[in-house]
Amino acid sequence: MAVPKKWWGLGLSASLLAAILSGCSSGSNNGNNGDAQATASASSTESASPSASGAAATASPASALDTSKKVELQFYMVGDAPADLKEIESKINEMALQDLNATVKFNFTTWSDWSQKYKLLLASGQPIDLIFTADWTQYQTYANKGAFLPLDDLLPKSAPELHGFVPKEMWDAVKVGGKIYTVPSTYEEYVTDGIVYREDLRKKYNLPVPDSLEHLENYLDGIKKNEPGMTPIADKGNLHVEAYQLHPDLKNMAYKVGSTPYGLNIPYDDPHNVTSYWGSQAHLDMLKIFKGWTDKGYLPRNQLNDATRGPDLFASGKAAVVLSAQNPTAYGQLLSKMAGTGMEIAYFPYPMYKGYSTPVHPIHNGFAIPTSSANPERALAFYEKLVLDKRYNLLTEYGVEGKHYEVSADGHYQAVGDAGASGFPREGMNGWAWRNPEYMLFDTSYDVVGGIFKQLETISKPDFLTGLAEDYTPYQAERAALEQVQQEYLAPLEAGVVKDVEAGLKTFMEKAKAAGLDKVQDGYKQQLDSYLTEIGR
Amino acid sequence: METISAGAAGTQTKEIRTRHRRKGLLYDLRKNRIMWLMVFPVLVYFLINSYLPMVGVYFAFTKFDFNSGLFGSPFVGFENFRMLIKLGALEKITINTVAYNLVFIGLGNAFAVTAAILLNEIAGKFFKRITQTVMFLPYFVSFVLLGSMAYSFFNYDSGFVNTVLQWFGMERQDIYNTPAYWPFIITFFYIWKNLGYSTIIYLATVVNINQDYYEAAELDGASAWQKIWSITLPLLKPTFIILLLFAVGHIMKGQFDLFYQLVGANGMLFNATDIIDTYVYRSLKVTFDMGLANAAGLYQSFFGFVLIMIVNFIIKKINRDYALF
Amino acid sequence: MGSSALSARSSIKWTAYIFITVASILCLVPFLLVLSGSLTANDSIVSEGYNLLPGDWSLEGYRTIFHNPDKVLRAYGVTGLTTLTGTLLGMFMITMTGYVLQRKDFKYRNAVSFFIYFTTLFGGGLVPWYILVTKYLRLTDSLWALILPGLLSPFLIILMRSFMSSMIPDEVIESAKIDGAGDFLIYWRITLPISLPGLATIGLFLTLHYWNDWYLSSLFINNPDKYQLQYYLYNVINNAKAIQDLAISGVTLNANLPMETTKMAMSIIAVGPILFLYPFVQRYFVKGLTIGAVKG
Repeated sequence: MAVPKKWWGLGLSASLLAAILSGCSSGSNNGNNGDAQATASASSTESASPSASGAAATASPASALDTSKKVELQFYMVGDAPADLKEIESKINEMALQDLNATVKFNFTTWSDWSQKYKLLLASGQPIDLIFTADWTQYQTYANKGAFLPLDDLLPKSAPELHGFVPKEMWDAVKVGGKIYTVPSTYEEYVTDGIVYREDLRKKYNLPVPDSLEHLENYLDGIKKNEPGMTPIADKGNLHVEAYQLHPDLKNMAYKVGSTPYGLNIPYDDPHNVTSYWGSQAHLDMLKIFKGWTDKGYLPRNQLNDATRGPDLFASGKAAVVLSAQNPTAYGQLLSKMAGTGMEIAYFPYPMYKGYSTPVHPIHNGFAIPTSSANPERALAFYEKLVLDKRYNLLTEYGVEGKHYEVSADGHYQAVGDAGASGFPREGMNGWAWRNPEYMLFDTSYDVVGGIFKQLETISKPDFLTGLAEDYTPYQAERAALEQVQQEYLAPLEAGVVKDVEAGLKTFMEKAKAAGLDKVQDGYKQQLDSYLTEIGR
Repeated sequence: METISAGAAGTQTKEIRTRHRRKGLLYDLRKNRIMWLMVFPVLVYFLINSYLPMVGVYFAFTKFDFNSGLFGSPFVGFENFRMLIKLGALEKITINTVAYNLVFIGLGNAFAVTAAILLNEIAGKFFKRITQTVMFLPYFVSFVLLGSMAYSFFNYDSGFVNTVLQWFGMERQDIYNTPAYWPFIITFFYIWKNLGYSTIIYLATVVNINQDYYEAAELDGASAWQKIWSITLPLLKPTFIILLLFAVGHIMKGQFDLFYQLVGANGMLFNATDIIDTYVYRSLKVTFDMGLANAAGLYQSFFGFVLIMIVNFIIKKINRDYALF
Repeated sequence: MGSSALSARSSIKWTAYIFITVASILCLVPFLLVLSGSLTANDSIVSEGYNLLPGDWSLEGYRTIFHNPDKVLRAYGVTGLTTLTGTLLGMFMITMTGYVLQRKDFKYRNAVSFFIYFTTLFGGGLVPWYILVTKYLRLTDSLWALILPGLLSPFLIILMRSFMSSMIPDEVIESAKIDGAGDFLIYWRITLPISLPGLATIGLFLTLHYWNDWYLSSLFINNPDKYQLQYYLYNVINNAKAIQDLAISGVTLNANLPMETTKMAMSIIAVGPILFLYPFVQRYFVKGLTIGAVKG
């Protein structure tokens, strides 16, 4: 009989708890969020544009930047603040006061409930001048709903250099409904995933490199036989399903980080020819394989509830492969973490099997100006400084030189003292969005990562799908119902705990159809088609 | 004659009533002005903190749009509620929510009353203090930790329960894929976590029962059990009823953390463990819709409101003094 | 008959000891798991799960937290201050309201009760409330944002009302009135001292409520120097999860913390002081008991 903790009543209790606890598992669901564009904007232009342009009109000044009045800018970044933020802030403010007659307050959301806070910050309309955006913060959805100011007119006036610095293709790529709402990062990286595995064990037991489904299974089998105490796959909560990518039929699937929308197979080479892989032979094959993995003990039987699994388990030597969420940078970190342990690890990027890789989409890291901003011009001018002025940039990316970091003779980033206890670790302000490739400093472990990037670059093709700003309003209820059905019926299949896979898949398909699968898939396909036509694919 | 007298009686009562009414709020404000002054800050507090935000109920009937702000957003009537129904599981999760809470209320109070009475019987002060503190411990264990601890108890591969089962030569149980176990597990953890807390409420009452009652009963030759049955328990009734009314008011709120951290994303168990909060939470993760969230909240509020009215009505019938209003 | 009463007396004692002991053990075990987890090497938790005794002793969890003791100490300070202020202020307002509401001659007591109780049934939801606090009351980053929202709970007010009405005979108030005491004086001089056990209960609940609160920090505090202790804990526990989940979206963060053992250590640190406080508050129950007995 707990005393009522939420004195303010019932209201949004569900959604708030939701947001708090979600952390950001949103990745798996919101991968679907697809994105901005033609049909999608049919409704978005109607709702967002008129008022948005109105806001822009009041915001656009007659002449260039007017700095006569001193202002304080509210800057919001997701994640945790570094310990020495105050020091950085005061140093930045010294410069900004001189350059722009402005000071800035850096606010952070913390990681644990950023998604709830992000929602509240924008919905409450409190004055915010700059806020981080990404595909995973649902940039396109917010832009569609009118949460951000369109920057098209503002950019040439308030941040002309920045406007020229970011290539035109990138400005185009972040457009939602034909307008720019965010300033994208120009740093090109690959966040495609791969398999991290124990190379020493592979050599020891003479196992194949897990570069295909068959080899992966041989590898897992060899590990289980020789290391009976191990549950070879380290992934938690069904993330091993990334191995879908290794099925020959699904190889060409234009796979988006997180998940594929609504069980659709969108072939990269022929994206108009969309089919449903849910319920297909390939789907059944994979589910049977997952069931086998569970039965043979490659996966823990209660993987869905096991919170300790993940790369940590792998790093402690208790598992032999990680199948999910290992992009080259993450692999680099595992590499340096495990450097002294005597365990040798290696990396197989999924794109090498698929035959092509996609560099990160420009919306992955950016900064927007919310509609509630009182000083959009100054905010944009400040952001320009952050990206292009080396003093601002280095200070906010790496901290104070000599105190937090040093640059080694060969130009590498070197943390001063224990990196784990630093008051400002590398990119301590999560400054992914204002990375400037010309000023960037890397530590030595990055050399391996850079090597993988080079390898991926050779098979690089543009990511054209992320630009689709899906508008799911027409099938919102079905979409939500479908998500429930997925968790209730598909997830156990993927976890390999349903005894009769074929019957289980049939049940799932029936339930999914009842929830409105067809309507959702058709709705998405329509938007996809007109988007593809618009971008000329 | 009769009619006239009846009429006279009628006007008489009416007169009393109007005089009474004239002696209404304004009169009382003057008469009891000190007492009104004493509750005034509290009334203002609730007015601002709770009543003012209630205008937000309106959002349940709008389609939220950032540009137009909260009150400019288009009015869509019952659209959000229709969507809630369309999600398709409202009936099941409502039943689950109510059923779980009834069990929680029943068993939770039974255990708390028992613990409070028995604690009071214990003479050793040191023992009493230590155990009471210990029983309070679970209240501080966060649900996130609880979730991972439950996993190390119940998981198939290396869980403590299965290790023990194997010692005794029994077969391993796949607890996480067997929905039938979960109502028990969840109820256990609920009681476990709240026992110390609700015991205190009862203990504060038990401790204050006038010793004269017991002495008198002893003179009448009542046994210790009889004294508990006929003195302690009846005197705990008002406390129980308050707890009951509040618990009923919170029925529709469910116990989100408890269910979410124990069950998580394990779809196998949803049929037995899904409550309104967890279901709506999962829906909102995908739909990202403020209107729907408010509609769900309003549905919960409304249902809770009706329940509390019924319960209060019944209590009022039985004993007016115990009713909340 | 005397002997049967005696045996019933001892049978109830036995039942009491057994029941309370079993319940205590059940409550203690998971907590011991946390304690032992906080003293175990991280790798050992990750690979072997929780144990009643640490297999692999290590203080790395505590070391991680006290690497930067400022933060923890400041969080203690914030929690201590808000707990103390909130509890005292809350106790005053709650008992005052409870007193008025149990006065039979206060005609509108039911209406006022309902006015208060109704707020637990209905609410406008988070967003309007959030706007109220941030935009109109302007409490962002203020300690009042941590104190005010939890100050009054309808539950505690009603609890206090019923406690007082069962504890204080109407005659006492009547005779005080005849002696010419004003309403506030009766409350302050007569009602409060009699209600000491109830006061201790309410005080304990308020203390626990403030001590355990993390949610208000998460909503209204941007300045890490003003985080409450539990929010600090909450972040330690949930960040591991959040950071891992982020990887799915292609975001890579440096997170080389011994997460599992740090979670446990942080839990112990957050619970510690209140546990020491609890037996101290319990004394007041005993005191209340004596007063009740003297009053006869």
